[in-house]
Amino acid sequence: MIFRLTIFGLITSLFVGIIYVITRPLIFESKEQARLEQLYALAKPLLANGDIQASIRQILPLGAPPTLTSPIEVTAITNATAQVGTVIPFRSTEGYSGTIHMLMALDDRQRIVGIRVIDHKETPGLGDKIDIRKSDWILQFNGLSYGDLSPSDWAVDKDGGRFDSFTGATITPRAVVNALRETLNYLDANPQILEMKQ
Amino acid sequence: MKVMSVWLDGLWDRNPGLIQLLGLCPLLAVSNTIDNAVGLGLATIFVLVLSNASISLIRHLVEDAIRLPVFVLVIAALTTCAELLIQAFDYPLYQSLGIFLPLIVTNCLILGRAEALARRESIGISTLDGLAQGLGFFLVLISLGAVREWTSATLILAAFPPGAFIALGLLVALHQLIQSKLKHRRAKVIQNSKDRRVRTTGDIP
Repeated sequence: MIFRLTIFGLITSLFVGIIYVITRPLIFESKEQARLEQLYALAKPLLANGDIQASIRQILPLGAPPTLTSPIEVTAITNATAQVGTVIPFRSTEGYSGTIHMLMALDDRQRIVGIRVIDHKETPGLGDKIDIRKSDWILQFNGLSYGDLSPSDWAVDKDGGRFDSFTGATITPRAVVNALRETLNYLDANPQILEMKQ
Repeated sequence: MKVMSVWLDGLWDRNPGLIQLLGLCPLLAVSNTIDNAVGLGLATIFVLVLSNASISLIRHLVEDAIRLPVFVLVIAALTTCAELLIQAFDYPLYQSLGIFLPLIVTNCLILGRAEALARRESIGISTLDGLAQGLGFFLVLISLGAVREWTSATLILAAFPPGAFIALGLLVALHQLIQSKLKHRRAKVIQNSKDRRVRTTGDIP
């Protein structure tokens, strides 16, 4: 009986494995496509003054917060004379389910141009309001830089901060805001990560 | 004859969305637009047809004690495959269906058909039943999606969960109404044909 169940387990896993291997390159491509679309949409205000340079992968020094994965893929927006902005990915593992992947565009003075959630598995109807397609909650960060607010203000209102948390789902906005604070704090102290050698 | 009744059951007489009321969670949650409804409906048909077929195929190999774990294993594997395929070929749809795609695995309709039919019937009938039931579910899903999408422009409630409940309730009521009219007519026909018989005492089955 147990033997038979094991055999069935092996057969179904093998089946899923085959489909996984076949679809993996296609999925990678579609994800990359979706990421690029988001990236262009995010960088639009910056593109008035410059163009997107090839993204550069770099290894982060020890001590980087867990919201930044190493190696990190930083995209610079430059014109003939200077770098006008940067798009950088960050993430939160403190969401309600799974990792929340985000992209952030910063201008040359580290002001937020825009933030988008590119992949998440938060609860539909509650936590998914962080998604621009569901609500414009994510737009409230635009124009801010880390120094504009005190560190304790970089939190959701339930934690004494300045940002809305939606009714019924505090965990998701808290995860996003906390990840944002840690990331901005780190970039504020380590601006060389955003600067691209030309 | 059997083929006919399988189709009738799935599409009308025992429609999963209107009579068996199975799989209500995705039915109510993902019916806010026609696009989402079509996407989830097709994914459900895919899983249901293949799960019915494969469970019928292995029905003689599965003893009672391990029946449920094996069924769940098969359904979970098929759902994962559906998720991977949609992710590969229609990423925007994958993103808009979100968590409801992996949740197909918990759609009672699929385990229900495996238990009620596929573990007893031949592979042909089981596959057909998966198709008929899946199509029945799909049709209810897109009707609901269409009603909600069209009315939500004027009646904002239709876009929200309460609107889904009300719209489904109306559809179920409509189905019952038509069903009772049909039954009424059928009863009349039978009565007319039996007019000359005289019933005597005793239990007549």
